[in-house]
Amino acid sequence: MGRQLTVSGVSLEIEEKGQGRPILFLHPGEGLQANRPWMDALARSHRVIAPAHPGFGGSALPDWIGTVDDLAYLYLDLAQQLKLDGAVLAGNCFGGWIAAEMAVRNTSGFAGLLLAAPLGIKAGGVLDRDITDMHAIGRAEFMRLAWADPSKGEIDYTKLPDTELAGIARGREALCVFGWKPYMHNPRLKRWLHRIDIPTHLIWGEQDGIVSTAYGEAWKAEIPGATMETVPRAGHYPHWEQPDGFAARVKAFTDRI
Amino acid sequence: MRTWYFSEMAYHPAWEKGLERGSLRVNFPSENLDPREAGLLLNRYLDEFALCDEVGLDIMVNEHHSTATCMTVSVPMALSIIARETKKARLLSLGNPIANRPDPVRVAEEMAWLDCLSGGRIEIGLVKGAPYEIAPANSNPGRLMRRYWEAHDLVIKALSTSTGPFSWEGEFYQYRAVNIWPRPIQQPTPPIWMTGMSVDTGIAAAERGHVVGTLLSGGLAKPMYEAYRKRARELGWEAGPDRMAYAALIGVGNTREEGMRRAHQIADYVRTSAVVAEPFTNPPGYNSIGANVAMLRAGPRAHRMITDRNGVMIDHRTATVEQFMDTETVFAGTPDDVFNQLKAFNARMGGVGHLLFFGQGGHLSHQDAKENISLFGREVAPRLLELAVPEQAAAE
Repeated sequence: MGRQLTVSGVSLEIEEKGQGRPILFLHPGEGLQANRPWMDALARSHRVIAPAHPGFGGSALPDWIGTVDDLAYLYLDLAQQLKLDGAVLAGNCFGGWIAAEMAVRNTSGFAGLLLAAPLGIKAGGVLDRDITDMHAIGRAEFMRLAWADPSKGEIDYTKLPDTELAGIARGREALCVFGWKPYMHNPRLKRWLHRIDIPTHLIWGEQDGIVSTAYGEAWKAEIPGATMETVPRAGHYPHWEQPDGFAARVKAFTDRI
Repeated sequence: MRTWYFSEMAYHPAWEKGLERGSLRVNFPSENLDPREAGLLLNRYLDEFALCDEVGLDIMVNEHHSTATCMTVSVPMALSIIARETKKARLLSLGNPIANRPDPVRVAEEMAWLDCLSGGRIEIGLVKGAPYEIAPANSNPGRLMRRYWEAHDLVIKALSTSTGPFSWEGEFYQYRAVNIWPRPIQQPTPPIWMTGMSVDTGIAAAERGHVVGTLLSGGLAKPMYEAYRKRARELGWEAGPDRMAYAALIGVGNTREEGMRRAHQIADYVRTSAVVAEPFTNPPGYNSIGANVAMLRAGPRAHRMITDRNGVMIDHRTATVEQFMDTETVFAGTPDDVFNQLKAFNARMGGVGHLLFFGQGGHLSHQDAKENISLFGREVAPRLLELAVPEQAAAE
């Protein structure tokens, strides 16, 4: 369990680890999962600050919060409250969407933006499904698409304590509150990505079955000067599936900004 | 006990293919339906509804979407026809899935229009809808009940306001000029119904004085009715049987064998109804956090079972008529058998004023359905109307 911090009236559970350049890491739709090795790997050369999104884990979801806009402003307030300076704003999956919504609004306090397989934009036509409908497939199919090696991702929920299961169930509902319709994207975001005025790097798992590398290219095309690299043997959560490889790529990015 | 006949207007010719695919809903492509056959069936089902008026039954209609189990896609469309083909029957919409309808004012308009058309025979169910209705409607399962209650309040306000327009600036719905024409005959609103399976629903319905209905499990119904009566008493009024409703599958015949055979065929509805691909069974937010914790704890292989009167677990997908009778999902036999079963059920439940008579299901033929309706209407329903409030409910 992380510490609780109240930001703009919202009680957030925040995990923090390590020393060095701060990384504000915004977790994917599947939750924070701080016990996986990704956090230690990143913390070897950074101060990692990772909040559980409102509704997830131990973070509250007040009635008045209900959109990704709200999350963007909330985390901009968090960055200000923590007096972040020269930090890296990072996010994976749903967290990448939030990070991009923050970056089109205000990048003060941040020196770079790192997006790992972000959701959040509409790239194709009306009949193109840019983002796999994770709520229209069974759990086994989801795992097969989201992981290069699904066995690495399996969680035995029957063994978790009720408080943790409740946090998971609340988080699953919260993800729907924020991203059900339009499905996991903001139709207008793509047109504002040009506002991002800090170095931006995209990281993509080569076996990502939730959002393709072609979708990543659409992001890259809209963000001035953005770079992109792929991670072998990784699906939609490269930080979970290849924690050391992910941390090395993050370090290379933060070293150059 | 009043009786409301009800049929889902199934497209049963596709059931077998759906069962093979493991889903009769949402992701079962409509190439498995022959539209001309669908038209013949719809006309047949509407004839069965019309027959109810002749034999003294009231009528209930519901709706589902993207499914071979129910072709009624719109309650108001079906009730429009039925209203014109009937003279006496009260007409219950159970219901309008208001959390899945983007425009609650339109719901109020449709219901008011039907009330005028039918001469004040409409009763209005405002329902949450089944979990697998979320995907076809693409309605957000997150905060579903908050949206439900806002829609509920808006529908009632729209129906009962004759001095409009009024404005509504809520969390989910915004209007600047609500002023429905026509307005309903029944004032301030036609009777309002809710459905549910939990104690919380019983309490919520009691707080508004609505009729509360549930289906297919006496074990779940009883605590809900008790919670309703208790809450009403706390609020200073006595909730009679006319506030409680129960849906059951019923096969009645001239012989016990005939009634049982009809019930067996109708019960295919329950055996198929829950067959739907996994992701559509529990969209996040549809069920409570507590229920989801229990499901995660039970693991992926657990599936829905219900408990009979003796505490025995029954699998809905494979149960026999006899097993379904033990869970009060089915009542079956001769008119005397069915009356006696319902009389005992009424006593166990502490008084149920409305029976939702599921009298047609899939493979039951038109001839059988007509006989089931006629026999029930002539031989059972009149006796149910005279059932008194059971003593223990009055004394509770």
